[in-house]
Amino acid sequence: MTGGYTGKILRANLTDETFKIDPLPKDWIREYIGGDGFAAKLLYEEVAARIDPLSERNKLIIATGPITGTLWPMSGRTVFVSKAAQTGIWGESHVGGFLGPELKYAGYDMLVVEGKAEDPVYLLIQDGHLQIHSAKDFWGMTTDKVTTAIQKKHNDPDIQIAAIGPAGENLIRFSAVIINHARAAGRTGMGAVLGSKNMKAIAIRGTGSVEVADHEGFLELAKEAHDRLRNNPQAKEMGKWGTWILTAVKQQIGELPTYNHRTGVFPGWEKLSADYIRPRYTVSDRACFGCSLGCKKLNYVSHGPYAGTLEEGPEYEGLMAFGSALGIADYPTTLKANQICNKYGMDIISAGSTIGFAIESFEGGAIDEETTGGLKLEWGNSDLAIKLLELIGKREGFGDILAEGTRRAAEILGPETEPFALHVKGLEFSGQDGRTHRSIGLGHATGARGADHLRSLVTVDQLGYQDVAAERWGADKLPEIVDPYTETHKAVAVFETENTYAIRDTMIVCWYSVSWPPVFWMRDFANILPLATGEKSLGDVENLTKIAERQVTLKRLFNTREGISRADDRLPPRFTDEPMPEGPGKGQTVNLEPMLDDYYNLRGWDLETGLPTSKTISRLSLDWAVTNK
Amino acid sequence: MSSQLLVDYTKCTGCRVCELACSAKHEARFQPSLARLKIVKYDDLGLDVPNVCGPCEEAPCVEVCPVYAMRRDAVSKMVYLDHDKCILCKSCAGACVNGVILLDTYSMRIIKCDHCGGEPECARMCPTGAITYGPTSTSKTVDRHSKILGYLREIERSAEAQESGGVE
Ligand code: SF4
Ligand code: SF4
Ligand code: SF4
Repeated sequence: MTGGYTGKILRANLTDETFKIDPLPKDWIREYIGGDGFAAKLLYEEVAARIDPLSERNKLIIATGPITGTLWPMSGRTVFVSKAAQTGIWGESHVGGFLGPELKYAGYDMLVVEGKAEDPVYLLIQDGHLQIHSAKDFWGMTTDKVTTAIQKKHNDPDIQIAAIGPAGENLIRFSAVIINHARAAGRTGMGAVLGSKNMKAIAIRGTGSVEVADHEGFLELAKEAHDRLRNNPQAKEMGKWGTWILTAVKQQIGELPTYNHRTGVFPGWEKLSADYIRPRYTVSDRACFGCSLGCKKLNYVSHGPYAGTLEEGPEYEGLMAFGSALGIADYPTTLKANQICNKYGMDIISAGSTIGFAIESFEGGAIDEETTGGLKLEWGNSDLAIKLLELIGKREGFGDILAEGTRRAAEILGPETEPFALHVKGLEFSGQDGRTHRSIGLGHATGARGADHLRSLVTVDQLGYQDVAAERWGADKLPEIVDPYTETHKAVAVFETENTYAIRDTMIVCWYSVSWPPVFWMRDFANILPLATGEKSLGDVENLTKIAERQVTLKRLFNTREGISRADDRLPPRFTDEPMPEGPGKGQTVNLEPMLDDYYNLRGWDLETGLPTSKTISRLSLDWAVTNK
Repeated sequence: MSSQLLVDYTKCTGCRVCELACSAKHEARFQPSLARLKIVKYDDLGLDVPNVCGPCEEAPCVEVCPVYAMRRDAVSKMVYLDHDKCILCKSCAGACVNGVILLDTYSMRIIKCDHCGGEPECARMCPTGAITYGPTSTSKTVDRHSKILGYLREIERSAEAQESGGVE
């Protein structure tokens, strides 16, 4: 096999309780590289249009890339791909930790979970030893408990475990898969897909190796890359403060989502900032596999109602979701919320956002105490937020409705709640605001999985990296391209950023070395990929760009097959019609349509329908996808 | 004064770059299971504890070897394995207090840290300074329990900061 890959796809069929090992098709490497790319190809081919994501016919894929498990910095991440339980369209969720490398060491590039078990089961993969065990005794357990229980049962603390909690079992639409206690494949409802298959956990232990094509050459470049990261001042800051530094930055440009995205400034922001949190709560720094940066923080709360909480996180997104977005200026509340999300297995972004939707609906008179089961919903109430979160996790009372996520909850609760339901294609907004960060307005609207910040978020404008912008996109586009308050050039920035991230997600490397801080870019990928794989064509930036375009358009085709078109690439009126009420970006709105036109032109998608044109499809050698309707 | 691998248990993030670097150097591939050191991870507590060869007061691997294949350098106190003498009885692997002597069942040989001949790759690649190489006297933290203690101290310290910071 070409270097970097194990050359094997492992399939576990839960209906027949069988395993099958397929060879990795060689031609996939040149056209899709790995990770997201392989998964998109497989999902498109094998999961038919319009099936129910929670049915036996859906599949869940865990994919790695050619550099997963090597010494390239931050290459320990893994992707979960499935038809999304939450949205019914393309679903993917990347996760850190150690699971992907372990799968490679066990001998597989991908794991595909198919069918449905009659009774609860978990998978145990120990190199070539493949087993399906009963999980009857584990059903109902929180993710931390089941993780420890499986490690104990098999007498090996080094088994890497991806588990669902009660949320996944109860098919909560935004349920997550949790890796070894604290890393979450959070978005789009991967937990519910496993839950629908009666699959409690995937346990992996591998003792083999990953061998690249040119070991010496690869090693030299990987070490250099580690040094570049370690000497990068922004990366050092990131290592110290984690994603928490973002709170202050976003407050400064008026993009800190507050009160369900009503405004972009939060008076209590300081209590959610890195400077405030780290000295008071952080007890240790942790990292994912092979990472020089180490953005993960373990924190402890010793006082107040959440005293005794010891947990990693949350990321900036969690600070936003259970902090500013709900009007709560209290870090311990966000840590507690993160702990509940980890234990139950839920996405903290969607959970917080759905609660924000409920509070605003209550405040706006669209729902009342009769609907909420007697709860008075209000901003800034920690107890209430935690209580609602637990109700969701258990699907009890009003929580049963919120467990459906914002879009479905609004359908259940009636059209009066619609203005407060903030989502794109069914996925709730991450912690950005297009009004004061225009490029993300376009990214949220066009993201393959919905209102997503991880596939095309331009940080160069948000954080004002002038030099980086000039180098990537040409000095002639300055200053507009780094001005977060204008639409000018933003489609180009989103297009090129999305392309680079697409390659990042095939390799797979962490967001944080590529996006923020922007240390590695296409050129670096082109340098390392041939050394890893031995495939020379992956050393050409132009070719990588084409692979990236193929990747983005293939996900688009997956979605258009489900009925998605330009009409769905929209933002709620909150962002397009309601001007930012205060702060440095006061008065700003998103003018989406011209950015969409530019973006479709760059992608080669039809301006009217938003569908990839036949010319684009054949340019990207995706004709097979069209015949495979 | 001779040099040893020194571990500061309070700094380790559990990234396992050291395991990758060790296997890359000695096996010419990426295979943490054959690294000559091991990061013991407690994900439930958020703790990561590096286990390396030495410095041992007594070296049980030397004591236990029935054919005297393990030799301890009198000055450096580092233990070396003579593969020609080794009969693969695995006694040393069982005796090592740090659990870092292994039997590679593929090539059928005992593998053990040799300090990379004085230029330890793990120390070179560790991003946090949790593993360094130098005279034992410069060791800040030689006691494995210190990470746990340090950790509890951090929890106490954060408690004080929260109290004085006016957090209700
Ligand atoms: S930067 Fe953070 S998320 Fe990324 S690999 Fe390192 S520890 Fe994991
Ligand atoms: S000193 Fe060398 S052989 Fe010993 S653990 Fe470190 S890298 Fe491995
Ligand atoms: S490289 Fe350093 S920080 Fe990372 S696991 Fe090894 S000892 Fe710990």
